[in-house]
Amino acid sequence: MSHHLFIVSPSDSPLYSLAHYSTKPTNSVASPLSANLPSWSTSAFAGTLTALSGASSVTHHTSGGGVRMGGGQDRHVIQMIANASLDVIEDVMRKENVMYLKSVDKFNEWTVSAFVTPGNMKFLLLHEGKNDDGIKSFFIDVWELYTKTMLNPFHTAHTSIRSPVFDSRVRASAKKYL
Amino acid sequence: MENHAFASLAHIRILLVPVGSIPRPVFEKYAAEIRTFEQIRLAELTTTNKDERARFMPNPLSTGHLHLSFPSHPPPQSQLPLSLFRISHFPLGVIGISSCSEADDISNLAQQFNTLVSDLFPSGGIHPMAKSCLIFESPGSAVPLTLGESSPGVVVIPNMMGNKKGYIGTLLENLCSQILGEFGVLVQTLESPLGNEYLNASLMPTLPPRSEFLPFIDGLKPDSRPSIPSYDSQPEISKSGFTLGAAPLKRNSSAATTHTQASPSHRQSQFGPPAASKKRASGIGVASSHGRLFKVLGDLFLLAGRTEDATVWYVTYSEAILLFKLPQDTAWHASALEGMATIPVLDAWAAGNGLNTSTAPSKEPWSDTTERLTQAAALYSKAPASDAGHDYGTLSYLYCCCILRHATLLFAIWSAKGWGVLAFTTLIQPGPTPYLPPTLSAGAKNSTVTLERLEILSGVSRAAISNTLAPVHGPWLLHLGARERISVLETTAGIYSCLGYRRKEVYVLREVLGCILDLIVCGREEDGAFRSALPSIHSKDDGIGNVSMRISESVAGNTGILSLLKYVCSVLGINLEAVRLSGSEDGEAQVEGEDSKPTSSQAYDEDIAEDLQEPFGLPELQVGVMREAIAVAEALPDHISVAQFAFSALKTLQAILSPGDQYHLYSTASRAITTAQRRGDPLTLEFWSGRPVISITISPLPLIRVPVEKPISALSTRAQSANAIITGSKDPFLYNPRRGVEQGQTLVVQHEELEFIIVLQNPYVFDLELQSVVLSTSGVPFETQPTRVVIPAAAFHQVVLTGKPLETGSLTIRGCIVQAPGGAPREFILPLATEAEEVRLSQKRSVIVCETERAKYSGLDARPWEKLHRRHQSKPQTSETVFKFLECKVVQEQPLLRIRRTSVTHGAIMLYEGEKSSLRMTLENVSSLPVDFLRLAFEDSTMTAAQQALTEGEMSIFETYETEYELLHNPLFTWSSKSTINIKPNKKHVLAVDCFGKGGCTYGTIHISYGCIHRSALDVPDPPKVFHTRQISYPIMVTVYQMLDCYNMDILPYHSSYRTPGSSGDAGWCLFSVDVRNTYGVPFEVTFERSQEDTDPESTTTIISPGSTARIVLPLKKMFLSQEHVSREIPTLSDRQFIVSKSKLSSEEESMNRALFWHREELFKCVQGRWREASGTRHGTLSLRKQRISLHMLDTLRMQKATVQLSIIHRTEDGDERQVRYQDNVFYPPIHEFVYLQGKVTSLSPTPEIFVLDFDLHPFQHVIYEGVLTSVPIGKLKQGDSREVLLPICFLCSGRFDIRAQVGMIDSGTSERGVSYGSLTAILGKPDS
Repeated sequence: MSHHLFIVSPSDSPLYSLAHYSTKPTNSVASPLSANLPSWSTSAFAGTLTALSGASSVTHHTSGGGVRMGGGQDRHVIQMIANASLDVIEDVMRKENVMYLKSVDKFNEWTVSAFVTPGNMKFLLLHEGKNDDGIKSFFIDVWELYTKTMLNPFHTAHTSIRSPVFDSRVRASAKKYL
Repeated sequence: MENHAFASLAHIRILLVPVGSIPRPVFEKYAAEIRTFEQIRLAELTTTNKDERARFMPNPLSTGHLHLSFPSHPPPQSQLPLSLFRISHFPLGVIGISSCSEADDISNLAQQFNTLVSDLFPSGGIHPMAKSCLIFESPGSAVPLTLGESSPGVVVIPNMMGNKKGYIGTLLENLCSQILGEFGVLVQTLESPLGNEYLNASLMPTLPPRSEFLPFIDGLKPDSRPSIPSYDSQPEISKSGFTLGAAPLKRNSSAATTHTQASPSHRQSQFGPPAASKKRASGIGVASSHGRLFKVLGDLFLLAGRTEDATVWYVTYSEAILLFKLPQDTAWHASALEGMATIPVLDAWAAGNGLNTSTAPSKEPWSDTTERLTQAAALYSKAPASDAGHDYGTLSYLYCCCILRHATLLFAIWSAKGWGVLAFTTLIQPGPTPYLPPTLSAGAKNSTVTLERLEILSGVSRAAISNTLAPVHGPWLLHLGARERISVLETTAGIYSCLGYRRKEVYVLREVLGCILDLIVCGREEDGAFRSALPSIHSKDDGIGNVSMRISESVAGNTGILSLLKYVCSVLGINLEAVRLSGSEDGEAQVEGEDSKPTSSQAYDEDIAEDLQEPFGLPELQVGVMREAIAVAEALPDHISVAQFAFSALKTLQAILSPGDQYHLYSTASRAITTAQRRGDPLTLEFWSGRPVISITISPLPLIRVPVEKPISALSTRAQSANAIITGSKDPFLYNPRRGVEQGQTLVVQHEELEFIIVLQNPYVFDLELQSVVLSTSGVPFETQPTRVVIPAAAFHQVVLTGKPLETGSLTIRGCIVQAPGGAPREFILPLATEAEEVRLSQKRSVIVCETERAKYSGLDARPWEKLHRRHQSKPQTSETVFKFLECKVVQEQPLLRIRRTSVTHGAIMLYEGEKSSLRMTLENVSSLPVDFLRLAFEDSTMTAAQQALTEGEMSIFETYETEYELLHNPLFTWSSKSTINIKPNKKHVLAVDCFGKGGCTYGTIHISYGCIHRSALDVPDPPKVFHTRQISYPIMVTVYQMLDCYNMDILPYHSSYRTPGSSGDAGWCLFSVDVRNTYGVPFEVTFERSQEDTDPESTTTIISPGSTARIVLPLKKMFLSQEHVSREIPTLSDRQFIVSKSKLSSEEESMNRALFWHREELFKCVQGRWREASGTRHGTLSLRKQRISLHMLDTLRMQKATVQLSIIHRTEDGDERQVRYQDNVFYPPIHEFVYLQGKVTSLSPTPEIFVLDFDLHPFQHVIYEGVLTSVPIGKLKQGDSREVLLPICFLCSGRFDIRAQVGMIDSGTSERGVSYGSLTAILGKPDS
């Protein structure tokens, strides 16, 4: 089961991203409709289409069976989905008075949970399974880490986070909760 | 237009096709007229017959409606499996539209129509159920058309018919009646056991061609007839679903057995895929239930507008399903649920309003519908696709349609502000713009406020719609055929767009693009002939399927795809139009021009703002999407767009592009530009590469060409030249605020080349080629040539541009016009970095920086151009900033001189100190103008130091004078100005310049200023206030050897012993002596000359050999300087201001200083030294000015005012006076005898003075005298007068007596003693011999 975390600045640029692969098996059930897909594409554009529709990950899933470890998941598509989910998040966060927006959006096989800080930084997590509590704890951990990073006076809302300490701690937290 | 209208299940589709050569606009016009019939009242249908065809006919007074939709494209062949499953999906009627002017054509047209219909629909299928051809008479036809006998189903509508619309309505009613009749026939077929077999044969059954099937039907007619449980449209099963549902089942089973055995082989051959038939073979005949038949009946009643009947049959079906749990029929079940979900909406619409129903507080009125649809979607997604391949596509399509139906429902309610009439109308007839509800405005400009207001009014949240819609997207989209896929994706994107979910919309739009491009690319690879036979694939952009590269490029539809691309990219934060297209003519370019194309000065500001933009969006994604966009544009192919996109990406994404990408983009764009140019594309690209020009400077003119502006008054008064030399060319003020201003304007000369140094930058990793770089100037006309430049990668590059101003006046250099290869030129202005400009820029920057730090706008509002737009909006438009540009003043043509040759070899001269020589310079006029003004100015290395010393003013007055004297009277070069010089064009002129060997000088410069002043006054009406000169500077290295050294100057008294006896002293002469040492290696002949008044000139000449010293002695007549001469102040040779005497001397010291000064001056006037090379011809002067004069020397030099002469006179008795014997001023008077001491005072003073005389006798006690010794009055004496005083004395003993006399002067109270002295010695005791 894989998770993808993005920390997105108010101007939609990612300050930090993390792909985390846990050993837990995927428990989502694929629709029978997505079986038996054509495995060939007619042109390069059809390839794009295949990737965007999520077919590539599905085919990989069925052929490989069991756990996917990164392969077959187009980073580009993941980013597209994360970006697209911002629409719903912006909409929902205006109406709801909470920071943790659980399972705010679903696209292809991904569920998107989000955490919006008071400074309008958005933490997006793309996940497959249902793990509300774990994700909430994870988000709160990341928030704390992020806040500590922001204490740096040279860090602005648009500076991407390159701190190895931050990275390792987020990974540790991901391992713990996800 | 295929749309996913909510109520599409209840739509009777009637296909509109053009027949014959009808022009498109005409077709569109008639089609639009037909399309106005959206509903037909059931009551208006005419029942014609009473057989099985009347089964679906409405009762005469029923209140329902038939809902019509008029697509203009038939469904693709691939959807044929749905023909029974979803009858509403297919056109049930066909109307051909044609226009015709001649009677002959009618039969022809009818035939064409029939051919067309049989082409469009597979022969033997159940569709279409009715057809009709409308032939509209063209306005131009003269003969009224008459319908031939042989063409049934063809209707001619005359041109002059008034109520065309009513007529068309009637025709439609007839057509619908026909269709409803056909429903009856269809059901009758299906009700037959064989028909039911076919219905149950596979998941998506089809009926075999009617020709094979009809005999069975006809034969079975009597049997099947009673099997229908209802004779009219009201089924009895509605009363008790279970029993009545069971009845047909039972009957059917019996009937089925007979027929299955009758022709098993025949049937098997009819079924499509062999695998499917094999699989289903066991099921056929055994479990063929009537379940599907009920569902078909429900569908048909729904179409026929009889919702109650439909509900009844659906319910029957559901119950049957529940009873028998047929797993393979999940899809049918789902479809039935969809049909049931449609019914409430139809009912609500028919009721006219839904407001009364919406009062139910507990549940939303549409909750039943949504529940059913949710269930249906779940069933579809779980439906087992039994057959290989084929069913996946169909099932996926059904699933997508169901999800879209659900989403459309919520969307319609949301957009119509709730469950009301508007919502029903939208649901049933979406109208021409299905994705743009009337409550929203086009162009994605809906503010969040509007959207949220709709949410509150309707009670449907956008997130809910989005969540409903999201499941439509998934891998199953790949199962769909291209056409369905595009349709589904389009609908999805449309809904997302209206919801304001633009990022999601863009996600889907990328897929749409992928589909379309896939089709285009694949379509090219296929055979063109094959494609042309097919109806063009319909998509958002008509005619995309027709783009064929090999034959001729059709660009139709390209703009649509490109605008879609641009939209996708703009939402992701890439501005694909960052580089604008500039067209030479019509179309887009004009439209773009409207939004106030910024002027260069605005662009200048924007460029600055652009530099400071914060990043937006996901960089990796942006690069990917941008690559895709370029690939799409290349595939179309639209070369100019390829270039535009690539350059825009380079411009805006430069920070995140990898070097490889940059290089690739550049080469792609260059290639595309070349291709576009070759093909004669009228559009060009604006300049794209940021801001290439960094600075622009005038390269300074070579010194000989620099014109210097002088006021015309300088011509008349040239008296101040001395002053200029002494003070130097310095400004008298330490801080002169005007100095900078004067330097701001560079003077340049008309018709002469100017050079500009331009610094260009290239931030990219590739070599940037600029096709032309031209100076952009205003003011006087300027002739310049564009230059082609290649800027090396990631570097600054310096270019020199040249040009000629053609007229006089002011030339302003605004900046550069830069043009990339194949692009449009763009001007980059470069204002001067004046203080105000700097302030303005820094303010602008700080504003942007300040905003950057804050995240006021987030999400899509944070896109750079949105922010820029907002900033422009919020800020009141400031007045146009006035820039100050580099300016030059172009002056009239000037002559040009050059030094043709000089007599100086190697630019150096060697001089002895004090040497005088001359050098010659030959000037040549190389211009076409005469030179009528020529001035020389000189400079040497000693001047600067001297001028500085003078400026500091630390020197004493005496030193100051000396320095000034040196500067003024001993310059290195001198030029005796002759009369007016006129050098004609191409003529030469020789100048002779005198040189003087000035000690300590190392170099000198000759500045020649010249100009042409007396021009013909024709071209200039009023006399100019200024004139211009040019300057040639000729530097010369100077070596001055100091070979003779004068020192030790002295003035010695000239003792009178040598001269006139009896005189009182030195008698007006003294000796001048000076030591001259030869420190050089060559003997010199040194001559000192004396030239004094009243005396003959005298000189002394010595040859001084190297290393030796000679003392030069010259007798000098004492000089007498009048009092007022001596008391004059030491003059300053310059009229410098602010000279404050710093010496704090007493007045006596002051006067002594002055006396010393003036006498020295006088001395140097009298005595002059010259030298001459002993073995050569060189000669010069020897300066004494380094010598000082001491007080002692002054006394010697200065002539007394009076002289006194003493003598002793012996007077005999007879009164005879006889001088006592004397020798060498020693008198030998007799002892004890009275003698007279005679003092003769002679006045030398030019003015009459009063003198007194003092005597001093020693030893005093041995002398007796008569009268007084001191202050013996002499009286007033004029010049030359003398008076004698006699003093009787008597020496009382022998011995030596010294007698002295002192002349004093009594002058207005102050007596000056010691003007002159006299003395004598008397020796007594030696007896007279």
